[in-house]
Amino acid sequence: MANRGGKGSYPPSKSGASNGRQNNSNDVIHLSDSDSDSDDFFEEEAPPTHSKSNGKASSDSLKTGGKASSFSNGSKGGKAFSAGKGGKGSASNAKPAMSDAELKLQLDMPPNSILLSNCEAAEMLQKIQGHMAILSEDPTIKIPESFDKAFQYAKEGNHFTSAKLVKEILEPLKDYGVNDGEICMIANIGPETIEEVYALIPSLKATRSINEGKIVEALAALANIKASK
Amino acid sequence: MFFHIVLERNMQLHPRHFGPHLRDKLVAKLMKDVEGTCSGRHGFVVAITGVEDIGKGLIREGTGFVTFPVKYQCVVFRPFKGEILEAVVTMVNKMGFFAEAGPVQIFVSNHLIPDDMEFQSGDVPNYTTSDGSVKIQKESEVRLKIIGTRVDATEIACVVLFANSNLDIACLISPRKPAY
Repeated sequence: MANRGGKGSYPPSKSGASNGRQNNSNDVIHLSDSDSDSDDFFEEEAPPTHSKSNGKASSDSLKTGGKASSFSNGSKGGKAFSAGKGGKGSASNAKPAMSDAELKLQLDMPPNSILLSNCEAAEMLQKIQGHMAILSEDPTIKIPESFDKAFQYAKEGNHFTSAKLVKEILEPLKDYGVNDGEICMIANIGPETIEEVYALIPSLKATRSINEGKIVEALAALANIKASK
Repeated sequence: MFFHIVLERNMQLHPRHFGPHLRDKLVAKLMKDVEGTCSGRHGFVVAITGVEDIGKGLIREGTGFVTFPVKYQCVVFRPFKGEILEAVVTMVNKMGFFAEAGPVQIFVSNHLIPDDMEFQSGDVPNYTTSDGSVKIQKESEVRLKIIGTRVDATEIACVVLFANSNLDIACLISPRKPAY
């Protein structure tokens, strides 16, 4: 495995900052100057090594645990784990390899950012697509390919009929030890059983005694608004 | 994950664009320069949703260009450690397979695919387990969990594993379009 040079491991997120929103006086990200000929989008210093990548990430600098974590319990429930023709990769006998803390969602976005679930992003991008259709009539304006890809991903990752209802169902979980990132992951994955939730979001197991009942209720409510595919 | 975020950028405009439509020209240039790009810090800029503020322009000495600080809102997409991505396999070959999760492309090397999954060539190349229970081919949906990330100026490298499996896979997630 090609070594990209140095241990450029991503700095760990601050404790207690797994929430997508943080209280901070800085609410704007300042970027460097742009030039009419060149682009200087990235404002922070990158790690000192910039050796050309051969398409493979360094396993030394990136692997943190070495072995997979255990998801075998969650694998037995839910349609999402069944293997079929072109189906999702299913579980084999998993051995615990990474601790729940190591697999915890580490959001590291600026404090002024708002986390969007796939359903919210799909609705937002749907509106933008309407405007883009008008703009695309101008031959000098090109719609980026990434927009279509992201829109398609958000639509396909949207398991529910209404983003507003999803938010109403999942928001109360914040009072039971579930942070914004975990709520977003539940909305994005669309789990069917509580075991699936704990298998895919192991950080929730720490507060299982508090949140299990509420998550089960939320899953039942989400099942009622699940979109048929 | 998707985020709605406010960013600021200094836009330079040539004097030939000055006039009653200066703001429109600035916004059009902003969209052209920013949409579709990827930065290691914020991820992929999917779309600009609005312009909050355009500050006063400052003439740059020697060039005549004017720099405007522009504050704008945009939707970005970026993978994080601990996140689960549902990706669709786009190509399978003996070196591994490519998958897409939105605007990011994921390459999973065959070196890190377990030995019990063998590459099967043919009309529909695929990786199949020895018992035939799992097959990864084009259009297959795979669920990947990111267990590590490293950011660079224009790309994000991630280590992923198949959610609900013991596969440990390193891959590079890179943008479809370079930042410049």
